[in-house]
Amino acid sequence: MSAPPRTPQSQPPDFSAWVDQHGDYLYKYAIFRLRDGSAAEDCVQETFLAALKAYRGFEGRGSERTWLVGILKHKVTDHFRRVTREAPIGETEGEQFEHNEFFTRTDEWTNHWNADHAPSEWHATPEELVERTDFWNVLNNCLSPLPTRTASAFTLREVDGLTSEQICEALNITVNNLWVMLHRARLHLRNCLEINWFTKETTN
Amino acid sequence: MTLSAYQRFKHAIRWWLLRRLPTCKQTVKVISESMERRLSLRERVTVKLHLWICLWCVWYLEHLQLMRDTIRSKASQEPNLESSSLPPLSSEARERIKLSLSQQRD
Repeated sequence: MSAPPRTPQSQPPDFSAWVDQHGDYLYKYAIFRLRDGSAAEDCVQETFLAALKAYRGFEGRGSERTWLVGILKHKVTDHFRRVTREAPIGETEGEQFEHNEFFTRTDEWTNHWNADHAPSEWHATPEELVERTDFWNVLNNCLSPLPTRTASAFTLREVDGLTSEQICEALNITVNNLWVMLHRARLHLRNCLEINWFTKETTN
Repeated sequence: MTLSAYQRFKHAIRWWLLRRLPTCKQTVKVISESMERRLSLRERVTVKLHLWICLWCVWYLEHLQLMRDTIRSKASQEPNLESSSLPPLSSEARERIKLSLSQQRD
């Protein structure tokens, strides 16, 4: 075997120690994006197996963790490709998240905001919100009711910053599908975050 | 007196516009798409006019941008949600992975 990366004279690394060191981290990464525990476990397992095979190619560039996350990203995308080939996303998936009730009015202004659901002013900057320790939990909870793939599309777009083309390819959808999914996710999330980040504070 | 006439005039213009422009429901969809693609000239003009008369949609747009900025800057600081209470890898899965790794090596 050629020289392992970080400790050139030593044995190849103890992979079971890697599982203990990085397993939780990789699993959290995967489950947040896949929203499915067993799929996330499979991806983490495939990542470690691929790391074992590819170890010689790693050559100590950067940290192990970054390297493993890089492999995991591909495994997550492969997973999406596989499931969306088996069960393509239909137009009606997540239709209830059009949130028609937000725009239902009894007066002549139907399809305009209903005052009970309309946005209110937030008085917040990204810096203040980033400081919040419950940030990921609130976001994760707000994503939970959405259809799995709608939530995943939003995460890939906003958290990972993938382009529309990359997401369409991974999810096997048209760009119009994607825009509808992102719109539903945003409409739902904005309302959910307003309730959780803003309304609660003022009523407390 | 003139002010009140002006106010009434402004109100009438707004009412007239809002009757003719796309509704809030249609506008929020275009606002979301504006984060994904360049809007057509027609869309840009109608959204601008809509925002001129509808504060709720102005806030909607601001909130989408705030969400995007906040998530991106949080994700760049902490891409893997260490502070979240997402579940850890179960011990069964951990053992299964270790087992498959050791089999693979043999």
